Amino acid sequence: MGDVDVDGLVRWMTRFAELVAVHREELTTLDAAIGDADHGTNMDRGMSAVVAALDEAPASGADAGDGAGVGAGVGAVLKQVGMTLVRTVGGASGPLYGTFFLRMATSLGDGAASVPDEAFAKALRAGLAGVVARGKAEAGDKTMFDALAPAVDTVEAELARGSDLAAALAVGTVAAEAGRDATTPMHARKGRASYLGERSVGHQDPGATSAALLIAAAAAALPADSS
Amino acid sequence: MTRDDVGIVVVSHSRALARAAIAHAEQMLHGRPVRIEEAAGLDDGTLGTDAVRVADAIVRADGGRGVVVLMDLGSAVLSAELALDLLDRPLRERVILCPAPLVEGLCVAAVAAGTGADRDGVATEALRALGAKQDHLSVPAGAPGPDADGDGGHGELGGRFEVTWPHGLHARPAAVLVQAVREFDADVQLRDVTVGGAPVPAGSLTRVAAMAAVEGHTVEVTAAGPQAREALARVLELAATGFGDLTATAVGGRHRPPPALVAGRG
Repeated sequence: MGDVDVDGLVRWMTRFAELVAVHREELTTLDAAIGDADHGTNMDRGMSAVVAALDEAPASGADAGDGAGVGAGVGAVLKQVGMTLVRTVGGASGPLYGTFFLRMATSLGDGAASVPDEAFAKALRAGLAGVVARGKAEAGDKTMFDALAPAVDTVEAELARGSDLAAALAVGTVAAEAGRDATTPMHARKGRASYLGERSVGHQDPGATSAALLIAAAAAALPADSS
Repeated sequence: MTRDDVGIVVVSHSRALARAAIAHAEQMLHGRPVRIEEAAGLDDGTLGTDAVRVADAIVRADGGRGVVVLMDLGSAVLSAELALDLLDRPLRERVILCPAPLVEGLCVAAVAAGTGADRDGVATEALRALGAKQDHLSVPAGAPGPDADGDGGHGELGGRFEVTWPHGLHARPAAVLVQAVREFDADVQLRDVTVGGAPVPAGSLTRVAAMAAVEGHTVEVTAAGPQAREALARVLELAATGFGDLTATAVGGRHRPPPALVAGRG
């Protein structure tokens, strides 16, 4: 059993940034097929900015703008992540991932330095609801939702069965990757890909791809003994 | 002290596009100080939108009478919606996100704001902005118009009038026609048969004025519905007076509406 603390969140974001950087070309290529060819570039720019912002925050004594600052809780850190993405991603993933993290932050509240696994899972659920509210996507629309929703459902179910967060996220990653793979035959109904209609069929969705990386990063980073 | 007009915010992926669209719209303002703010691009060269920038632009555009936000597509809309969440409630309630086409809507919104229209009036006008282009480019309806006073064969009545007065069916007579048509439970359409344009709804001032039927043109009127006969008769009756313009001319130029119009409606 464990808790999720600020260090864990920073590890998560750092790991996600690494995965996005490594997969940047792939994400861009996927987006070139059914979008405007900037998902990899946008996410890399956004996550680089997130890592830089999180690096700065502990060093500053007082609150760094809308930054976390020394002694900031998990909610403040996620709010900073969300706002940084909103400002720097540029494409639809900015408001979408931005809202995901902002809603997670609201769910976790301002003060806590760490939260139990269940609270973190609840925050993931709140983040997912935010993505739906913002983007109005449904299952099968061929979007990030198609990877995120199965992951959140799975994490909740695993925790309810008594697994710890690390195990739940590992199974959640499998679900996210299956959800990502399932987008390939889908006909896009949202975003730039929806302008392509039938021609979007046969291409893996870039948003679902980055969402699967997000869950994989959590699985790698959140167990307390991760390095 | 100038009264504050409704403010406008332009959200686009491209800063260059937003600035050019604003410069273009400002040409129609003739110096009126309408606040049009851009929230476009991540920087001068990078495409994208940023909800924080949109929120800041809304704050700058707001003069207390509301803000109309125009957007290009995709993430511009998402960023604008997220921007609303970043505003405090009183300001948020003064903002409307308007799904008008960006360039055309901005021109119309700027003019409307400059004439003192309220927030909802500006947004409504912007939503109609494609009308002129659609009318101009649309293919005329297939079947030829009905004979004067004949039944069009579709439960429609039809008639025609000549535009015999100077300046044609410009805004003032158009307004008279539109007001008269709205009195009746009927669907009335007009068509400038001299030009061969598409029919326009006689109840829309923007569309009737945009038809720009000038002196010498013939306009076909069709009416359908419960009061089609009365509506058609009224339009033709008013047309005989140039919707007020002929009478003014006849009395030596001093504009005075004919008695029939004064008795008509309040």
